[in-house]
Order: sequence, then structure tokens, then C-alpha cells
Amino acid sequence: MNRLRFLLTLLTAWTLPPLVHAADEYKLTDDSLRQEGVPQGEVTKHTWSTSKNFPGTTREYWVYVPKQYDASKPACVMVFQDGGSYVRTNGEFRTTVVFDNLIHKKEMPVTIGIFINPGEFPAAEAGAKGRSNRSFEYDSLGDTYAKFVLEEILPEVGKSYNLAQTAEGRAIGGISSGGICAFTVAWERPSAFSKVLSHVGSFTNIRGGHVYHALIRKTERKPIRIFLQDGSGDLDNAHGNWPLANQEMAAALKYAKYDYQFVFGDGGHNGKHGGVLMPDALRWLWRDAAR
Amino acid sequence: MRIYVFLALTFLSFGQSRWTFAQDMSLQEILEPDKGWVVVTEGHQFTDGLCSDLQGNLFFTDVAKGGPIYKVDPEGKVSGFVTNALKISGLKIGPNGTFYAATQAPEKLIILIGLDGKTTVLATNVVPNDLVVSRKGIVYFTETGKGRIQMISPTGELRVADAGAYKPNGITLSPDQGTLVCTDFDGTHLFVFKVEADGSLSSRAPYMTAVTPLNKIQSLGDGMTTDGSGRYYAASAVGIQVFDPTGRLCGVIAKPENKFISNVTFAGKNHGFLYVSSSDKIYRREMKARGILYQAPAK
Repeated sequence: MNRLRFLLTLLTAWTLPPLVHAADEYKLTDDSLRQEGVPQGEVTKHTWSTSKNFPGTTREYWVYVPKQYDASKPACVMVFQDGGSYVRTNGEFRTTVVFDNLIHKKEMPVTIGIFINPGEFPAAEAGAKGRSNRSFEYDSLGDTYAKFVLEEILPEVGKSYNLAQTAEGRAIGGISSGGICAFTVAWERPSAFSKVLSHVGSFTNIRGGHVYHALIRKTERKPIRIFLQDGSGDLDNAHGNWPLANQEMAAALKYAKYDYQFVFGDGGHNGKHGGVLMPDALRWLWRDAAR
Repeated sequence: MRIYVFLALTFLSFGQSRWTFAQDMSLQEILEPDKGWVVVTEGHQFTDGLCSDLQGNLFFTDVAKGGPIYKVDPEGKVSGFVTNALKISGLKIGPNGTFYAATQAPEKLIILIGLDGKTTVLATNVVPNDLVVSRKGIVYFTETGKGRIQMISPTGELRVADAGAYKPNGITLSPDQGTLVCTDFDGTHLFVFKVEADGSLSSRAPYMTAVTPLNKIQSLGDGMTTDGSGRYYAASAVGIQVFDPTGRLCGVIAKPENKFISNVTFAGKNHGFLYVSSSDKIYRREMKARGILYQAPAK
């Protein structure tokens, strides 16, 4: 390398960090912020410690009920994994604020949000640590998590609220491993969930999820609508390359003629871009159910 | 250009910590580059029963020939340590510094072996394969053919801790000893349990999925060990499989040669060497990861 090129490289290195910093800069829109005159739904917190599908685990979940909920009519349902991150009103997603705004504008239907945290095995005694069951629940292919949602959480919430029983009235979403988990639930039970929202989904080989794009191409199309988001700065590690895996997913969904959207930004493995896109994603996923 | 890429990676890494807790560990974080397998000792028949002490001495047995418990000091010097005529398939050192052994012949037993070679029988009418001893002095041993794990309390009470349609073989504990893991020799998973306050096992789940030889469902999962970061190591048909504490496969460490490997443990200086029993030999390789001792105090 000659001296001039070396200096130019240094100069480039000096001037680029602000540009690099500008990548993954996404700003929330008004739809994600509290608006005056918009009725606010109510959020309640619950614990689930009697799981049959994941015995021994305990977890928290939250239920959001919009102000417009009418017990005489089944409300649509949207289930989020890593629920604590999605339900926070000062985080990346602010899902309940978006729900309030879009339901008020009739841009999505009256929808009950269920925000589920992954299970944990609490420590048996002092000095021991709890063990997270997140990877086992979210990254595993198969129908165990779908059964957990359909046979445990939905019936429990259904005791208090009139929930939609059709796939058209049910959506499921998540981030990272929660993203592939949401896809797995719909893939295994398309008769129960028709809409998937995936943020920086882990369609990589954590526990075999890298096969989905190949399966999608050679499996008769399932009635699932999918909103995928990822960024060029996402992970590249022993499990795989997230940006490439999400592009493979999008290409397979396109090939198999799925009703899908893929938004590929320049963000990393976080919920910033996904959070900013949340209002658009919800409008798109619920477009024919809103009125 | 390299500087730019480096900076970009540095900046991007700031946003990643939230979704990458104690997981996504790769082989690169474990293996010392350019440090491969080295023969420690050879000329045996079927080596097994690897374990180590606080000083980093390795102990092993020859389950086919029987004879002594062998000792390999951190410098690599091999000697017969405790002479006996037993064929031992599982060996660990308990909190009191004595050996706990699962014997195959002349009788199938769980025994204590003092440093003077004196033996005490802990359990008869058992079919043990491998074992682990907790800091509380509870012995957990696998009965592979019977599909169960039994436990012996510090007061000598023997009882079944778990039974099911699987072939438990190797067995290990998490660093905090709140989690127990075993391989399933004929299956594709490793099973994980919660260790309750009284030492009983609960919540069995196929928490880890093993790599199997192509077109086979048997992992041949065998002896296990744990490192200081809570990673689990399992000898198996395709090599030594390493899992992070959340059950994700980090990768498979290649076998030293194309032979059956029965067991794996950390020993040597700072417990910074991984030892493997491969048929007639013992090999070791230098690691970035460090082993953890079952009898050591909690961290």
C-alpha cells in the first residue's frame, strides 16, 4: 500500500464513523407515540407456571385489551414472543401504543394483544441460577410451542375475553428467535394462525431453522401472510448469516407465491427498524380485517 | 478498508448485547488455534472413566482390561495410581477427595475407592455406566440399558431419579449444579433436568439436539464434562459436541482419529487441556476454555 492510499484509508476511517453510526438510525413515527384523544387500552400482567408442554417452567405474560373491545364480539388476537420487550411503552416497539392508534383510526381490527415471555426454570435454591428455556422453545422446529400457545395460553386468556377462533383473526410475531418461533407456529398450525410478523428472524441453524426456505419451495403453499424485516448489519455467527437467511426466506416466499413483504434495511440485530415499521406492518397484515 | 470494516463491526456490536446473552458461543472461543490433539498415552485396550483433581491430574481406567486407576500429571507423566482388579466405566472424585466408581466386573457396582485403594460398596444390584458426584455428595449414575438414572444420597439411600424411553450414558452438572445433563446413546438429543433442592431430578426435556452421522438417528452420545462458562461437552460418533448453557450447539470438535471415543474431561495446568479417551489411547489438546471441577466450590 503506498503512502497516499494509506493516508486516504486513515482519512476514510476517520470520517466514516458518523456514517456508520447513521446506519440503523430509525425514528418512530406518530403512530408509535401517544396521541391526544386516542383511547388507551388496558394491560394486565400474569404468570403461567403450570405448563404441560414445557413442564417445570414459569413465565410472565401480559394481556392488552383495547378500549373498543366488546365482549359480545370475538376480538382478533395477536401473540408476541419475548412479550416483555414488545409490551413496553418506552421501548423499540411500543406495540400497545401502536394498537391504540391504529384501532382508533380503524386501520387494524379490535385486537387483543398477548405478550408472552419465554419460560424459565427457577433456581431450586440459593446459589443456583435459573435456566432460560427460550432457545429450546423458540429455536426448535416442530409443534410443541404451537401447542403451548393453542392449548395453554389462548384457552387461559379466553376464559376472560371473547377471542377470535379463526386463523384470519389471529396473528403471531416476534424478534430474533421469537421471529422464527412465530413462523414455526403458523407453519405448524396454519389453520390457527394466518399472519406472521418477524423482526430480524433467526432463520439460521440454531436448531435447524435454516431449512425453512428449502421447505417453503417444496411444500404446497400454506395460507399464511408474512411480514419479514431484517438489516444488512444483522448477525453473522456459527449459526449462520441472518441477512442472507432472511433474503433466502424472502426469495422462497416469492417463489412459492406467498402473500409476503420483506423490508431489508441497514440495521443490526435489534428491534429499532422493526419498531419503526410496526404501524406499517400491522396495517399490511390486518388490511382485510380492519374496518 | 480493513480499518473501516473493523470500525463498522465495533459500532454494530454495541446494539447486539441484548439478544446474545450467554449464547451463540462458537468453537473459535473454545479452541486454541494451531493446537491439535497430542497422544498422552497408548497401548491400552478401551480407555474410559476420565476425571481430574484440583491439581489438574487426570485419572482414567481401562474398562476392558481392568487394572489400576491411571494418573497423568500435568506434565504428562503416566503412572498406575490406585491398583485394583476392577473394570471401571465411570469415575469421578467426590467432595471428600475420594474416587466414586461405576464398575463392570467382576460385579456391577457403585463403589468408593480411597486413595489407599480401600473400597466401600455404595450400591449393589445396579447396572451402572457413568456417574457424577455433586458438591453435596449425591451420586447420580446412568443405567444405560435400563433407561434410567439412579441417585445415592450422602447417607447411602439409593433411588431412581428418572426413567424413560432413552439410553442415558454420559452425565454432568452445570457449574452451579442446578442443572443435570445426560447424553442419550441411541438417540438424537441430550436430556436436561432441573436439580431440586433435595437433589431429586425434575423437568426432563430434550433440551439439546445432537449431530448424528448422516442418515442415522443414533448420536452414540457418551461421556460428558462441563467448562467454567457452563458449556457442555459430549463424546459422540461425530466428535465432541459442545453446547452453550441455553442448549445451542456451538459446534463439533473433531475426533483425534477415526475410532470410538468414550469420554472427555478437562485436566492439566489450570484445567486448560481437553482430554479424550479414544479406544486404546488418551489424547489431549490445549484449549481457550477452562474446565470446572464438580467438587469445587460454587462460583
